[in-house]
Amino acid sequence: MAADAPKSELLQGTLDMLILKVVALGPIHGYAIAQRLQQMSGAVLQVQQGSLYPALHRLEKRGWLRAEWSASDTGRDARFYTLTRVGRRQLSEQRAYWDRLSAAISGVLRTAE
Amino acid sequence: MRFRTRDPRIADEVRFHRDRLIADYVASGMDPKEAGRRAFLEFGNPAQIEEAVRDVRGRWLDDLSMDLRYTLRSLRRSPAFSIVAILSLALGIGANAAIFSLINAVMLRTLPVREPHRLVQITRLLDGRPGFVSYPLFEYFRDHVDSISAAFAQGATDQSIVIDGEEELVPTDLVSGAYFTVLGLEPAAGRLLGPGDDVVAPAAPAAVITDRFWQRRFARSPSAIGTPVTIRDRIFTIVGVTRPEFQGARTGRVPDLIVPLAMMNTRGAGFNWLNLMARLKPGATVERANAETQVLFRAYLETVAAQAPEKERAGILRQRAAALPASDGFNPVRSTIGEPLLILMGIVGLILMLACVNLSGLLLARAAARQREISIRLAIGAGRARVVRQLLTESLVLASIGGAVGLAVAGWFGSRLFALFVNGRDIMLSVGPDWRVLVFTGAVALAVCCLTGLAPAVQAVRVDVNPALKEVRARRGRLGRALVVGQLAISMILLVGGTLFVGTLVKLYAVDRGFDSDGLLVVNIRTSQPYPAARVKVVQAALLERLRALPGVRLASASQMLPAAGSLWDRRVQVDGYRFRPDESETVGFNAIAPGYFGTLRTPLLYGREFDARDTETSSKVAIVNESFARYFFGDESALGRRVTSVSVTYEIVGVVRDAKYQHLREPTMSTMYVAWTQQGGDQPSSYSYLLRPDAGDPMRLAAGLDRIVRDADPALRVRQARTYAAIVDQSIGTERIMATLGGFFGLLALVVAGLGMFGVLAFQVTRRTNELGVRMALGATRLALMGLVLRDVMVMIAAGASIGAGAAWLLTGLARSLLFGLTPTDPGVFIVAASVLAAASLAAGWLPARRASRVDPLVALRHE
Repeated sequence: MAADAPKSELLQGTLDMLILKVVALGPIHGYAIAQRLQQMSGAVLQVQQGSLYPALHRLEKRGWLRAEWSASDTGRDARFYTLTRVGRRQLSEQRAYWDRLSAAISGVLRTAE
Repeated sequence: MRFRTRDPRIADEVRFHRDRLIADYVASGMDPKEAGRRAFLEFGNPAQIEEAVRDVRGRWLDDLSMDLRYTLRSLRRSPAFSIVAILSLALGIGANAAIFSLINAVMLRTLPVREPHRLVQITRLLDGRPGFVSYPLFEYFRDHVDSISAAFAQGATDQSIVIDGEEELVPTDLVSGAYFTVLGLEPAAGRLLGPGDDVVAPAAPAAVITDRFWQRRFARSPSAIGTPVTIRDRIFTIVGVTRPEFQGARTGRVPDLIVPLAMMNTRGAGFNWLNLMARLKPGATVERANAETQVLFRAYLETVAAQAPEKERAGILRQRAAALPASDGFNPVRSTIGEPLLILMGIVGLILMLACVNLSGLLLARAAARQREISIRLAIGAGRARVVRQLLTESLVLASIGGAVGLAVAGWFGSRLFALFVNGRDIMLSVGPDWRVLVFTGAVALAVCCLTGLAPAVQAVRVDVNPALKEVRARRGRLGRALVVGQLAISMILLVGGTLFVGTLVKLYAVDRGFDSDGLLVVNIRTSQPYPAARVKVVQAALLERLRALPGVRLASASQMLPAAGSLWDRRVQVDGYRFRPDESETVGFNAIAPGYFGTLRTPLLYGREFDARDTETSSKVAIVNESFARYFFGDESALGRRVTSVSVTYEIVGVVRDAKYQHLREPTMSTMYVAWTQQGGDQPSSYSYLLRPDAGDPMRLAAGLDRIVRDADPALRVRQARTYAAIVDQSIGTERIMATLGGFFGLLALVVAGLGMFGVLAFQVTRRTNELGVRMALGATRLALMGLVLRDVMVMIAAGASIGAGAAWLLTGLARSLLFGLTPTDPGVFIVAASVLAAASLAAGWLPARRASRVDPLVALRHE
């Protein structure tokens, strides 16, 4: 929680995409997803870890994620998430959209300067 | 108050995360307590997260199981209510499922054959109902109706058969060659009959047995194929077995044996005794087949009429024929008990409605008692829909348990009811519940749930939260009273129905039958071999003599046709001194009887004498006629000594007897002539029913020794059936008896339920108005006035309920017209009786609360607040 970095609330769609991105790397449980999200975005994006779970279950309900109980690295059972085919397609679509959007925004900012 | 059921796995997942978070902080050197605090900040409240996840996943199931458990707990807490509710629903649903399972068995099943919907029955119509055709008519239709590809004829008999020297009587179908091919059946073993078997007097006649007989007689042994069966004097060979699901082509009758019709001498006869079924050609419709049938039958009748005497032509041409859908086979059961079943369905439907309204009232009272709890729940933010759902769950649970118990009730009630309907008739049907009955019961239970639950639930949440929190008392007055009026109205309909059916039965029993059936035993016999004509009279006389000599028998006689058993022969007659008009029927009822017949039946002999020993085969031919006959043909003149000719035999009338009802008790008496059995040719000992009147007591006591006596008379004779005459009469009005029993029973049940409902509402209102009543009394109202206050309320509800019910009954009872006798469906007397009974019972129910109202102590009442 660095005081000097501006915090931004995560847009819901953004969180979904980040989760998909993390899960795309292989079966992973909720705690590890939270850790990975924090590492990936540094302290810039602030995720309250608990709000991860409604998102995970929403994505599962949509059929983008699949969940399974199995043993974690500590030996205790955890719920592991994997990406479905639909999820993978969704990820690449959202990614393309974000690429276009951020390119457009930086274009606007550059000409405005 | 919130009841929560946690999905343990959601909790596990959340806990796993928190635990790992804490563990990681501790591993990085943090104090465990500080680690827990940090984790809470970082992670959030686990319970909230679980709820959020549950919101995402949809909480429908969670909430349902919560509601269910809450409901079960609250039902357990009030066992009296639960038992009353479940029992009344179980009875209501059970009665509906039972009647429906009978309707299902009688009307909804199709034959287990290939494409049953392409089958049609082509038949003559009797009073609009399917009748029978003769063999020539069968051939005529088979060869000329263009819409059908093939047709078969089938006749049903009971045949005496011998297998391995063992003789028994089995239901047998006589069928023409196309029977199995039209139906499209495959054998379970061996082969079925085909067109090749349709020849007169073949070298090796073939027979097919059904699975039932195969099981019973041969324990399904393959060696049954090839077994010889003696039928009368011919030896048939069993060539095949039908599949288990095939129960014959006629609803309610499962044959044991199926043999070619061509084997029987009756094939060529002009008797109408055959059923005709055909398969439609591809593309043809029942309507087209029907149109062709009508045209063809008209042409057929015209050729018949052309050869008949002038006066008979109109009658011949009046006959009708039709092609009818036959996916359920030949179904005489449908026309005999179909209509009563539909009426009963309506009655039990009303009973179920009554149970629903009643339960609705109970639930309403419960909701009123729980108003405070509901208000609290609404106040702390429960959605109204959520509370309604919780209340609906209660009726859902009640309806489900009621439905399940109801199915058990249905199984029991259905089979008992079916036994009542069958009542000695030869009907075999499986009435057990199948998928249709299950679906029906489920649908009924669901409807019950909605009917009973919705009104109280909506009423319960239609409260202002604030006043209700302070004031526990409910305002359910108007709805409660409306429900009581509803109950009274339904009861009124059921009472009118019950009174009509009971009245019909009373009138039927009061009909002057013209004979005394009490204390009579009726014995039917059978023979394995037909007797040669020369032996018949000797054997008959020997049998009657032995029966008369039986100890304890006072009188005995015999008759071809029995009064009230439903039939008489028709005979054309010429009466000396009487000229028929051209359009007048020349037929009269005809019966052959033994000496002492009228004495045994206690039918009064008005003039002349009975038949006796002097009337022999060779003596001059004599007849006895009934009053109607004598009056019709001779008016006031004496009938004795007059001459009647029938089938070229001229009889002299030697006696006149009182009329007796041979057909149904509701039918008018026919003009009837009786001839002596000694002078009647072409019969067999088994053509007669033997009547025994014992000195005293139960006539069935005589039945035990009969078989020996009968064998004594001739070794080939067997007792086929021995029953009391009273049973035969009861059977002849079996449907009316069922309708009266059930109609009366349900009427009374409705009365009790409505009475209880009335009592409940009044008791509640008197309690609610204790304060007001106390004030009135303090101001000088008399006890009588207070009672009047309550009773006036009762009267208003009775008047409303009875008028609504009477109006509905007025519209509905016409449906039962054909089941009534001696009463019109809108008989004012019946309505008055029903209304009086209803009023009396409701007033009685209102009496106790009214009395309590008059005993209110003003001091107590005023302190009540």
